[in-house]
Amino acid sequence: MSAIGSTPELLPERSHDLLPDLDPVIHAQARLRVTVALAALADGDQITFPRLQQLLEMSAGNLSTHLRKLEDAGYVQLTKTYQRRTPVTYVSLTRTGRRALEDYTAALRLVLTPPAEQPGG
Amino acid sequence: MRSITGRDTDPSAEPEQQLSAGESLALIERQQEEAQRGLGLNPALIYALWGAAYLLGFGAIFLTYPTAGAIRLPGVVAGVIIGVLFAAATVTSIVMGVRSGRGLRGPSRAAGAMYGWSWTLGFCTLAAVNMGVTRLGLPEDAVTLLWSGSSLLLVGVLYLAAGALFQDRFQYGLGVWMLVSSAGSVFAGVPGNFAIVSLAGGGGLLLAAGYFALHYPRLRAAA
Repeated sequence: MSAIGSTPELLPERSHDLLPDLDPVIHAQARLRVTVALAALADGDQITFPRLQQLLEMSAGNLSTHLRKLEDAGYVQLTKTYQRRTPVTYVSLTRTGRRALEDYTAALRLVLTPPAEQPGG
Repeated sequence: MRSITGRDTDPSAEPEQQLSAGESLALIERQQEEAQRGLGLNPALIYALWGAAYLLGFGAIFLTYPTAGAIRLPGVVAGVIIGVLFAAATVTSIVMGVRSGRGLRGPSRAAGAMYGWSWTLGFCTLAAVNMGVTRLGLPEDAVTLLWSGSSLLLVGVLYLAAGALFQDRFQYGLGVWMLVSSAGSVFAGVPGNFAIVSLAGGGGLLLAAGYFALHYPRLRAAA
């Protein structure tokens, strides 16, 4: 039996138009798709650039631009290596990136939940 | 040509349109399904192929026995049916396994590859042990029962392992079912053992195919 605090934490003011607290790195269609696809890999798994490109059906230039932004934010790790003398780039989501996606998804759900259904409301 | 995309560009100034919260959530769900479909195996297809191979292949062998019923198949025909079906199921499983693992590396890939090799190693060893024992001289029926019982036993244990590895109670349950079928097939005698392998073994695999097709609706779109 847990006693729930009588005064639930106040929720931030929500606006459906402005979506104030959403992570700007992920809140862009292409980078959101990249992040979600990488999150589908098991923890610690990596995917080659071409396979990721095929999975997302994005152009190589477009994908590398977005990967660079995600890497700058610390959400994605790029590992360059060689396989049979051919350079291969492996991509994976960092722990920070996975948490950022979780937080972002939780924020979206909060925005979309009617006030009456919110926890503690 | 140099890209003019600066690193410090304000994200809100990007030409890409901003999504509403609802659109974003829908995009996340759609992309999750697409990624899982694009990265994973289609278990329904593999179970369906193996289920059909067991049901029809061992069903054909059952029908070569005079006690089986009205229809009697020549041994050669049954041999061709089971050979073709098993070759098709084996090749398809290997090709799908290799294709789904292409361009991926990491702990879960290693686990998947080790699990895949367990089937090959297990069945090669089973063949060696059974042939070694048979060499000492066994009655014909004992040889038949040795093969059907030990094969289903190994299949069952490998499904138990899959259930444990992938945290899937359904596959674990399928493993238990295969173990029961294994013991049942030996006690049924010849040719009842073939009926058990065909109906209980093949039927169980086809049920699994149906389960995975329903449980992962996204896979139906891929099939």
